[in-house]
Amino acid sequence: MTMTELHALLPIIVIAGISVVLMVMTAFFRHQRLASLITYGGFIAAAVLVAGQTGSGPQQATPLLIMDEYSRFFSLVILVTSLAATMLAYDYLRRSDVFKEEYYILLSLAVLGAVVLVSSNHFAAFFIGIELMSVSLFAMVGYMVQGRTRRAVTLEASVKYMILSGVSSSFLLFGIALVYADFGVLSFSGLHSLLGLHSTSSYSQIGAAMIVVGLAFKLSWVPFHMWTPDVYEGAPVPVTAFLATVSKVSVFAIIVRFFIESGAFRLEALVQALVWIAVLSMLVGNGLALLQQNIKRLLAYSSIAHLGYLMVAFIAIAGSNLANTNLAVEATAFYLVAYIVMSLIAFGIITTLSSPERAEEAETLAHFRGLFWQKPGLATAMGLALLSLAGIPLTIGFVGKFYVFAAGVAGQLWLLVGVLIVGSALGLYYYLRLIMEMCKAPDTEPAISREETPLENRVVLSALGLVLLVIGIFPNGLITTVHAAVAVLR
Amino acid sequence: MLDWLWLVPGLPFLGFLILFAGQGKMPKRWTTLVGVGSVGLAALVTLLIAVEFYGTPEAALTYRQTLWTWMEAGSLKPGFSLYLDGLALSMLFVITGVGFLIHLYASGYMYEDEDFPRFFTYTNLFVAAMVMLVLADNLVLLFLGWEGVGLCSYLLIGFWYRDPENGRCARKAFIVTRIGDTAFAIGLFLLFRELGTLDIQDAMSAATATWPRDSGTATLIAVLLLGGAVGKSAQLPLQTWLPDAMAGPTPVSALIHAATMVTAGVYLIARTHVLFQLSTDAMQLVALVGVLTLLMSGFTALTQTDLKRILAYSTISQIGYMFLALGVGAWSSAIFHLMTHAFFKALLFLTAGSIILSVHHQQDIFKMGGLRKALPVPFATFLVGCLGLTALPPTSGFFSKEQILNAVWSSPTGGQLIWAGAVLGAFITAIYTFRMFFIVFFGEQQTEAHEHKGFKFHVPLIVLAVLAAVGGFFHLPLTSALPHAGHDHVPLGVEVTAIALPMVGVLLAYLLFYRQIPALRQLFETGPLKSLAAFFYSGWAMDWLYDRLLVKPFVALARWNSKDLVDQLPAVVSRGAALFHRLLSLSQNGQLRYYVATMALASLVVMAVAVYTG
Repeated sequence: MTMTELHALLPIIVIAGISVVLMVMTAFFRHQRLASLITYGGFIAAAVLVAGQTGSGPQQATPLLIMDEYSRFFSLVILVTSLAATMLAYDYLRRSDVFKEEYYILLSLAVLGAVVLVSSNHFAAFFIGIELMSVSLFAMVGYMVQGRTRRAVTLEASVKYMILSGVSSSFLLFGIALVYADFGVLSFSGLHSLLGLHSTSSYSQIGAAMIVVGLAFKLSWVPFHMWTPDVYEGAPVPVTAFLATVSKVSVFAIIVRFFIESGAFRLEALVQALVWIAVLSMLVGNGLALLQQNIKRLLAYSSIAHLGYLMVAFIAIAGSNLANTNLAVEATAFYLVAYIVMSLIAFGIITTLSSPERAEEAETLAHFRGLFWQKPGLATAMGLALLSLAGIPLTIGFVGKFYVFAAGVAGQLWLLVGVLIVGSALGLYYYLRLIMEMCKAPDTEPAISREETPLENRVVLSALGLVLLVIGIFPNGLITTVHAAVAVLR
Repeated sequence: MLDWLWLVPGLPFLGFLILFAGQGKMPKRWTTLVGVGSVGLAALVTLLIAVEFYGTPEAALTYRQTLWTWMEAGSLKPGFSLYLDGLALSMLFVITGVGFLIHLYASGYMYEDEDFPRFFTYTNLFVAAMVMLVLADNLVLLFLGWEGVGLCSYLLIGFWYRDPENGRCARKAFIVTRIGDTAFAIGLFLLFRELGTLDIQDAMSAATATWPRDSGTATLIAVLLLGGAVGKSAQLPLQTWLPDAMAGPTPVSALIHAATMVTAGVYLIARTHVLFQLSTDAMQLVALVGVLTLLMSGFTALTQTDLKRILAYSTISQIGYMFLALGVGAWSSAIFHLMTHAFFKALLFLTAGSIILSVHHQQDIFKMGGLRKALPVPFATFLVGCLGLTALPPTSGFFSKEQILNAVWSSPTGGQLIWAGAVLGAFITAIYTFRMFFIVFFGEQQTEAHEHKGFKFHVPLIVLAVLAAVGGFFHLPLTSALPHAGHDHVPLGVEVTAIALPMVGVLLAYLLFYRQIPALRQLFETGPLKSLAAFFYSGWAMDWLYDRLLVKPFVALARWNSKDLVDQLPAVVSRGAALFHRLLSLSQNGQLRYYVATMALASLVVMAVAVYTG
C-alpha cells in the first residue's frame, strides 16, 4: 500500500479509530458525554478529511476501494447525517436505563460499514461494507433489550431484522458467486465488458437478479419490504432515524454505482422487473401509510414509497441518451439528500418527544395532537418535514421530486411517472392529516412531556429545517455539487 | 398639458387610497376635502386638457400615453395605456364634471351618515375606474375599468348593508350585469383569436381589413359586445337590475345609475363602432333593443309611484334612445344625448334626493304633493330637469333627441316604424315626467317638508340646471372620432310631429294630474286599462318571468345538488383508497415465517423474469 493510498483511506481509518478508542475507553471508564464527544469529533475529523480530498481526482486504494468524487460526496453525506443522528440520540440515551457507551461503538462501526460500502467498487468490499453495517444495526435495533420498558418489542424487531437480513445476505452472496462463476471477475469495472454481453450461461443473469433481491431487502423495495414497519416501530427511535437514512442512502448509492459501472442496465429483463418493483413500491408504500395511526409505521411506509420514487430516477439511468442519463443520476443523488434531510427531521422530532422511560414512544397520533400550541418550534419543524415529504414547493422535497419527475419524463417512463403522480396524491393525504392533527386544540392532558427541548436537538433540528428551506428555495448550490459528484460514474 | 392625462384617473385613485388608508378615522372635513377635492382636481385637469385639445386641428385629435406594460403573454401585451380622442374627452367631461357636482352634493347629502368616509372611498374608486374605462387604449384595460365600475356599483347599491333587502338588490345588480360581462369577455376572447390584438385602434383597423361586410364572425363578436353593453346599460333583456339599484343612496343613483356607469354600454359600442358598421344585422339588433327598451320602460315609468323608480325607468328608457341612435349609425348623436341626459338626469336625481330628504325619506309621490311652496329651489330645478327630459325646446334634451329622431327616420336600420315607436316613447316620456312633476309639486300637501339649504345642496343643483337648459348648444369634438351622420333631411311633417307630440303629452299630463278631470281618471282606474297598468307597474312582469325561468330552476338544481353529486366520484376514489389500505394491511401480519416466504417467492419471480425474458 502506497502513501497516496493510505492518505486516501485516512477518513476510513479515522472512523475505525473511533470505535477502537471507544472500546478501550468503555472497558475502563464509562462516560456518555465523553464517548459522544469522541464520536462527534471523529465524524467531524473524517468529514473534514473527506472534504479536503474533494477535487483531487479518483484514487484507487487497494483493488477494493475507490476514492472518487462520487464516494467522497456520499461519505460526506453519511458522516454529516450520522453526526446529526448521534446528536439527536444523546438526550434519549441519557434518560434511558441502559448502558450508553456501547451505542457509540456500534454506531461508529455501522458508519464505517456505510463509508466502506459507498467507496467500494469491488464485490468483496461491497459485501464487507454491507455486512459491517447490518451486523451493527442488529445490535442497535435490539439495544433497549437491556432496559425494562421496551425489552420485548425491541428484541422482536432485532430478531426479525437479523433473520430476514441473513436471508437477503445469502441471496446477495450467492448472486455474487454466480456472477463470479460466469466471468471470474469481482470488480465492477471488470464486469463492464462482460455482463449482458458475453454470457455463456444464465448464471450471470440469475446472479444479477439475486444481487438485486439482496439489495432490495435493504432498500425495502416491495415485495421485500415487510420487515420495515415492524423494525422501524420496534427499534429505539434514534436507531430508526439512523436506519432510515444512513443504511438506505448508502445502499442506494452503491446500487447506482454498481449498475452503471458493471453495465447491469444492459440486462433488460432485470430492468423490467425493477420497473414493476418501483410501481409496487410507490403504490403499496403509500397505500399502507394511508390510514396508519402509528407515526413510526407511517414513516416506514412513507420511506418505502420514497424509495419507490427514487427508483423512477434510477430506472431512467438505463436510457441510451447520455444527457438524460446524467439528469437521472443527478436526480437520484439529489433526492437521496432531500430524503435524508426530511426523514431525519421527522424521526428527530419523535426522538425529542419520546422518553425511554415509557413503554411507548411518541409515535401515536395522540402525541402529536395540538403540538403547535404546546411546542410551536418542534411542530413547525415537523410541519416543514411533512410538507417536504409531500413535495410542496419551497421545500427540498419539492425540488427533489421535480428532479425525479423530470428524469422520468426525459426517459419517457410514462407508467412510472403516472404512478409517481398517483402515489404523491395519496401521500398528500396522510402527511397533511398529521399536520392537521398538530393544529388541533390540544387535549386537556398533554400526551407529551412539557420538558425543555435539549440544546443539541434544537441546534440539529433548526439546522436541518434551515437546509430544507434554503435548498428548497435556492437549489442551485446542491445541484452543482451533485453534478460534480456524479460526473465520475461510467 | 396632455402629459397630465394620467392624473385624471390617478387623482381619484389617490383619493381612494388615502380614504382607504384612513380607515374611516379621518375627520369629516378632511374626508370631504379628499373625496370631493380629488374629483374636482381631476375635472380641472380635464378642463385644462380640453383647452389644449380644442386648440389643435381636429384631424390630429388623438393622444396616447403609455404608463407601463401590464402583462405580457405572447402577442397579448395590454398596457396601462391611455388613449385620448374626442369621444374619450366628451366622456371625461361628463364623468369628471358631473361627477364633481354630484360629489359636492353628496358631501352635504351624506354628511350625517356614519359611514360618510366609506361612501367617498367607493365613489372615488368608481370615478377612477370609470375614467380608466373611458381612456383605455386596449380592451383588456377597458374590461378592468368595466369590472371596476361594476364592483363599485355593487358596493354602493348595498351601501346601507344593514338592511338585507339592500344586499339583495346589490347582488341582483351584480349577478345580472355579470351575465352581460360574460358575453363581453367571450367577445374579447374571440376578437383576440381572430385578430391577434386587443388594442382598440389596431383591432378596428384590422377588422375592416380582415372581414368583409356582414361577415358572420364580425356579427357574432358585435353581438357578444352588445351583450356586455345591454347588461351594463340596463337594456332589454338585462334591464331588471336598475330599478332595484335605487336601493343605494341617491347621489349614487345620480352618479352611477344615471350619468356615468350605465352609459358605459353606449360608450363601448361607440368605441367599437367600426365593428358594428361591418354588420347590418348587429346594427339592426342594437336599434331594436333600443326602441323596445325605451317603449317598455316608458310604459312602466307611467305607472310607478316611487319617485326614484320612476327616474330609474326613465333612465332605462333614455339609454334606449342612445342605443337606438347607435343602431341607426347616428354615433355622435348618441354621445350627445348621453351628455345631455347626464345633465338633466343627474339634476333630476339630485333634486329628487333633496325632496326625499326634505320629506323624511318618503319616496312615494302620492304622499308628497304640493311641495311647490315649501321647496322653491328644488321646484325650479326639477322643472328644468323635466323640461330637458321631455325634450321641449330649447332645453338640451330637445337638441339631442331631435337629432336622434331625424336620424332614425332616414337610416336603413331605422325606418318609419321604429321612428313611430321612438316618437310614441317621447310622448309617453312627456306624460310620465309631468305626471311626476304635477303630483309632487301641486295639489294637496300631504306631508310637511323642511328644505335642506346651503351651498353644497344648491350649487350643484343650479349648475346642473343651467347645463340642462343650455347644454344643447355645446359642441362636442366628435367629428374626428366618430363618423359623421350628416344632416338628415326629413319631411317637415315628420319634424313637426316629433316636436309637437311631447307637448301634447305635457298637456295630457296637465289635464290628468293637475286638473284631474274625473272622466279621464275613471278611464284609468277601471276596466282593462287598470290591469294593463298593473302589468306595466311590474316592469312587464320581467322579474316574475326571470324568477320562474332562471332563478327557481337554478335554486332547485342547487338544492338537488346539495348532496354534492359530483363529490360522489371523488368519494369512490377515497373509499377505494381506504379499501386498498385495508387489503394491504392484511399483508403486514407481523409473522416472520410469512415474511420470509413472501421474500423467497418474490425472489423466485424476479429470477424467473431475469432468466426467461432476458
